[in-house]
Amino acid sequence: MSRYLDKSILEINELLKQKKIRSIDLVNECFERIEENEELNAFITLNKEEALREAQALDDMEVDNVLFGIPIAIKDNILTRNLRTTCASHMLDNFIPIYDATVVTKIKEKHMIIIGKTNMDEFAMGSTSRTSYFGAPHNPWNTNKITGGSSGGSAACVSANLVPFALGSDTGGSIRQPASYCGIVGMKPTYGRVSRYGLVAFASSLDQIGTMTKTVYDNALLLNAISGIDLNDLTSADREVEDFTRKIGEDISGMKIAVPNYFMSDIVSNEIREKIESVIDVLKESGCKIDYIDIKYLENAVSLYQIIAMGEASSNLARFDGIRYGFSKENPSDIEDLYYGSREEGFGEEVKRRIMVGSYLLSGDNAKKYYDKALSIRSDIRTSFLKAFENYDLIVGPTTTTTAYDIDSDMSDPLKTFMDDVLVIPVNMAGLPGLNLPIGFSKDNMPIGMHIIGNSFDEATIYKLASFLEKKLNLDLCPKGGNSYE
Amino acid sequence: MDEILTREEVLHVADLAKIRIKEEEMEKYQKELKIIFNDIEKINEVEGYDDDIIIAPFSSEARLRDDEVERHIEIESTLKNVPRHSGNYIEVPVVINE
Repeated sequence: MSRYLDKSILEINELLKQKKIRSIDLVNECFERIEENEELNAFITLNKEEALREAQALDDMEVDNVLFGIPIAIKDNILTRNLRTTCASHMLDNFIPIYDATVVTKIKEKHMIIIGKTNMDEFAMGSTSRTSYFGAPHNPWNTNKITGGSSGGSAACVSANLVPFALGSDTGGSIRQPASYCGIVGMKPTYGRVSRYGLVAFASSLDQIGTMTKTVYDNALLLNAISGIDLNDLTSADREVEDFTRKIGEDISGMKIAVPNYFMSDIVSNEIREKIESVIDVLKESGCKIDYIDIKYLENAVSLYQIIAMGEASSNLARFDGIRYGFSKENPSDIEDLYYGSREEGFGEEVKRRIMVGSYLLSGDNAKKYYDKALSIRSDIRTSFLKAFENYDLIVGPTTTTTAYDIDSDMSDPLKTFMDDVLVIPVNMAGLPGLNLPIGFSKDNMPIGMHIIGNSFDEATIYKLASFLEKKLNLDLCPKGGNSYE
Repeated sequence: MDEILTREEVLHVADLAKIRIKEEEMEKYQKELKIIFNDIEKINEVEGYDDDIIIAPFSSEARLRDDEVERHIEIESTLKNVPRHSGNYIEVPVVINE
């Protein structure tokens, strides 16, 4: 089998330009690797025929950009015209989108090739990808472990080098947490940086599409391609699309970096705290100034998330009524039976529970008692972060409290899935950019990640630090546990 | 504080969400929803925050565009995802009381 996918994107681009390889070679290599690693269950739908056809058509074209002809996987809650998009739900298991999400339009303009749609938690609700109607994806570092979620399939396929790039979405950590569990680079950009048009809505004030790659530089390249204002999304920001690679390679000495005390408290395993401390030592030795600070209300982020995300979800998922698209109950006795029956059968347990919680929280006086209050505390969390950024360039800490756990572990505690995301949720609350960078491994050889948080619209500074550490740590991020991907 | 929700409470919450609960799921939801509601209750212990709220971390001024007719969604492709339709009409059960 050819091994082009192990090369960096710049190297592949050079080979394509010199016509030493063709896009279809890369696409073939992806499908070979996917077929060899089917047990990872990283994909829900493959786009093989169309991908081969598109790659073939590139043969006669000029290589006009660095992403030209590069394969990419798309999370299955991002709409792809004429390519099934299920949200990993029975509700949408036959749904064929009639338009492309803006990010999909943008990657098609770059002539990237869509390989398939990746597995995920149903409607992106979960931290394990086990709520998928199509069964859970497996962690390439150890197939008995979860990938994390909800962008678990995207994380797994990049980690195992089945596809060089993937898009994910992050409402409360759903890019960064699986990126950490699977040992890849995952960026949730600033809220507003990337258009959400065509992303199936979960919690609209928190949802953000982002980039999942093997390396920091590739991640910045992909973000370059998908960012920018979109007239179809009023929450997309009118910011010039900058080159996110522009600070990569700059000297980091003199950078001021904050570590929130809560992020290093005993909610985090000793092993992970020690690893983070060792990286902080590297930063100090490299001339960074490190301070431990307090950010207000971090300990309340999970409760806040339940109120805001569930509330928004209950409203967003009201559209699934069995009438216009999606699963529809056979022979309903009346309109109510159509609503109730379609939702009963179409949604899985986790989704139903979240919609119920959200509906309850927004009903009657509860809206004032819980929702309004949550919005106020959310405002304070954001203010507290922004205040910290008046004095610091970046904030760092661990991405997760533990490494990936067993795929068959007990799921009976409904709060467990939220606690997995306790360190990443506050960043969605504040709308800031955050990135997971692999920084090492646990004793059982599972990846550990550092969470690097930047000021609003300052992704470039995150990439600067991440790329410095990536080079300095020089980790071998090819999974060897469970199965070999050699 | 009660350990679980009553059956009536679960049915009320499910009704708000237009979701039907199967009998065998009842016990599970009585337990799980209670755990979540107890956790959410913690928000009422939080003090000292400002009354300012944010609905979303970022939103721009309303952007206006020219009022021009654009072709966007095709009826034919839209109908492919519709569970029941006749011609260009989407079918629903009768909604008027007899």
